[in-house]
Amino acid sequence: MKPSIETPAARSSDCRTEASAVFDGVSYLYPRTQEPALNEINLTILRGEFLGVIGPTGAGKTTLCLTLNGIVPQAFGGRFFGYVKVAGLDTLSHPVSTMAQHVGMVFEDPDTQLTATSVENEIAFALENLRVPRDEMRRRISWALEIVRLEGKEHKHPFELSGGEKQRLAIAAALALRPEILVLDEPTSQLDPVGVQEVFAILRDLNRTLGITVVIAGHAAEEMAEHADRLALLVHGELVTTGTPEAVYGDVERLNKIGVRPPQVTETFYLLGNGTLPDLPVRLEDGLRLLETWPRTHACQGAPCEQPARPAPPVSSARQTTTPLLSAQALHHTYADGTQALKGISLEIHRGEYVLIAGQNGAGKSTLVKHFLNLLQPTLGTTSVNGIDTRRLRMSDLARIIGYVAQNPDHQIFTATVEDEVAFALRHLGRSTDQVSAAVTRSLEAVGLLDARDRHPLALPKGDRTRVIIAAVLAMDPEVLIFDEPTMGQDDQGAQAILDITRRLHQQGKTVVTITHHLHLMPAYAERMILMGKGVKLLDAPIRQALHDVDLLAATYLAPPQAVWLARALCEADEPGAAALVTPEDVAGCLAGQAPPMEVRH
Amino acid sequence: MARVPTGEEREVRHSPGTTIDGASLALTIVLAAVVAALSFIPFSVMLGTAGSIEMSEGVYPLVGWILGPIAGAVASGLGRLVGVLLAPHTAGVPFVSVSGAMIGSFAAGSMVLQGRRRHWWIGLTIYLVIVYLLYAGRAVVQNGVGLWPAIGATFLNWSGILLYALPTRRWIARWLKSRHVGHLAAGLFLGTWMISGITHVNSGMITYFMYNWPEEVWLVLIPIIPVENLVRCLIGTVIGTGVIAGLRAIGILKPREAVY
Repeated sequence: MKPSIETPAARSSDCRTEASAVFDGVSYLYPRTQEPALNEINLTILRGEFLGVIGPTGAGKTTLCLTLNGIVPQAFGGRFFGYVKVAGLDTLSHPVSTMAQHVGMVFEDPDTQLTATSVENEIAFALENLRVPRDEMRRRISWALEIVRLEGKEHKHPFELSGGEKQRLAIAAALALRPEILVLDEPTSQLDPVGVQEVFAILRDLNRTLGITVVIAGHAAEEMAEHADRLALLVHGELVTTGTPEAVYGDVERLNKIGVRPPQVTETFYLLGNGTLPDLPVRLEDGLRLLETWPRTHACQGAPCEQPARPAPPVSSARQTTTPLLSAQALHHTYADGTQALKGISLEIHRGEYVLIAGQNGAGKSTLVKHFLNLLQPTLGTTSVNGIDTRRLRMSDLARIIGYVAQNPDHQIFTATVEDEVAFALRHLGRSTDQVSAAVTRSLEAVGLLDARDRHPLALPKGDRTRVIIAAVLAMDPEVLIFDEPTMGQDDQGAQAILDITRRLHQQGKTVVTITHHLHLMPAYAERMILMGKGVKLLDAPIRQALHDVDLLAATYLAPPQAVWLARALCEADEPGAAALVTPEDVAGCLAGQAPPMEVRH
Repeated sequence: MARVPTGEEREVRHSPGTTIDGASLALTIVLAAVVAALSFIPFSVMLGTAGSIEMSEGVYPLVGWILGPIAGAVASGLGRLVGVLLAPHTAGVPFVSVSGAMIGSFAAGSMVLQGRRRHWWIGLTIYLVIVYLLYAGRAVVQNGVGLWPAIGATFLNWSGILLYALPTRRWIARWLKSRHVGHLAAGLFLGTWMISGITHVNSGMITYFMYNWPEEVWLVLIPIIPVENLVRCLIGTVIGTGVIAGLRAIGILKPREAVY
């Protein structure tokens, strides 16, 4: 049953020929900057279109989104050139409150835009501000909740919802205004892969059934390729090209140059054809079809294709004899509100390992690692560091052994310069000025931020803010480094730059634990993967094996990278030894008769 | 080499829906919350009316310099109102506390306005002189307080009014705009002294009309009031230096009437 409320787009008879928004020679400079964030943008967004805005971090995607409802420049100031018209209204001549009735906005972090104490109040907030009559308001709330599949949760507090549900609530709140355009700025970067798929499916549904124009900026290449009608590629504020996903993602060479990742399926066939294949597939189904017809060498030398039995943790015999560096035994944790976050977790992490911890939002990953830092204490069971029960260790002692880079770098930043931020802990440990200065320089060099030492940390881009925290942690020279979602909100290049730092640290002998949803990046870094779901450990295995356990991954709302699906298809097509393939390079190499790397080579 | 875009440059205006007199609504609310939070922390006792003087008094001027006269008065007034309701131990005479907060930020924001508002400081100075004469005059003429005890106990008030009326007002504003931390701190310290004097004379006049404390109290106040005010100045300087440096570094859009 589809919605009974008409949107402006749904009312239009021939929506695909009318312009929903027009950028006419738009350039914009933020206050006190010399380089334009947008430069000479000419773009027409058609009514009913699903437009993906892609580009590397700093390309101007967010700025472009914010011009659509006038927040740029009305809230920021700066210099603005040209015209943006949405629903026929000039965004500079009309206040943001007027534009908000035509443009629904959803931001990256749902927590920053949810303000009410219940789901229905959240949706009602904007309607109340627009003095929508009470009965109409109730009708729209029910309608919006049905659309985003949150019926029955009207009275829940928004913070009781999962990450995906929160983002869907933010979409519902925007939708209740019956906007002509729904603009979403990286709405899925904080979600687990299934959350990402949920949000995209809802957007596609809104677009197809209601004719709402959707503009979405982000780095989710696979989903963009699957759902977008057209992509706009931005680089350094300039609109480099627009076109179908096939046209834009198919130009892999250009994307590689500017640091934008194509879908894995595209990359795989690009590698297979040595860049000469004319029509690269951009969707998994197209890739699977093409794979069926691809000539085989039957020379793939990966692991056997039989579904691997659930393996024991990959601890080498030499490591087994030593005391684990981090250990949890039958660990339970129940929060004060009764939420059982951990239910009997047992695991050991040895010196020199690089471990990935993965799982859905709310699986208990952060709760687990916080026990090693004494930020949380076990409700039942024990956690130990170097064989010593963490309850017997002070937080300050643990901070010297374990460096923790939290999920949101802004929660760890509190000084006025990058240098002070990195030096803060050292000064409180009573180190001499020379020692502090040397450690700060060394750490900033390691993360490539030496030139930014005098800048305010919060004035840096998010990736750099994460690096500031990594530098601050490095300056303490801890034995173990725990990174909690360090790649969140990063484009591929930014994520790899951060993960490259983790690899260098591992090569220097540090023990590294990384929590992330970006599974497609991790085979190049981690050796071992611990999979968690709803507070329990589901799997502890070498990463290549773990990524092929697609059923278990699905049980914790994770989706394997597309390369794994291609490898599984090869297995089904009697290609022996395709089971350890996890990257486009692996799959392409396998079809070309080369052996994939069986372990991480650090 | 900076790139200058071609095409028609448009006049950028702040959205009326998101600003108060050119100051971001969000920033106004944040500073109101800061005033409310500081209202909970007492730093001195209040003679004559009982209760405590709270730390927020040290930031009323800062709020005005950041937000300008109107938004500053709104932020301080709202913050203090919340403080009065939630922290009765520092409420004093509620109406006096709230109006004092508003006048302090308004006076701070009105120091060096331009255009049609450029003479606001003159009107405010005339008002303050009248208030001072009512306050000290009532003490001397009606309640028999000696002239010198009255002048000594109101040192903060007449020095504040003088600093505001003379070109020192412009010098302080210049220091507040300075990128030099020392000059900024000096501007914050002297500026907080000046504005607190103004706030105090306004509040003092009303409470004096209510309580009419005798000469003995005036004598005790002579050394206490300047010391208390030094604490306000320290609060304003320490918080203000960090906040203004932070606002500049982050590059947040400066409110239209900001003095810093």
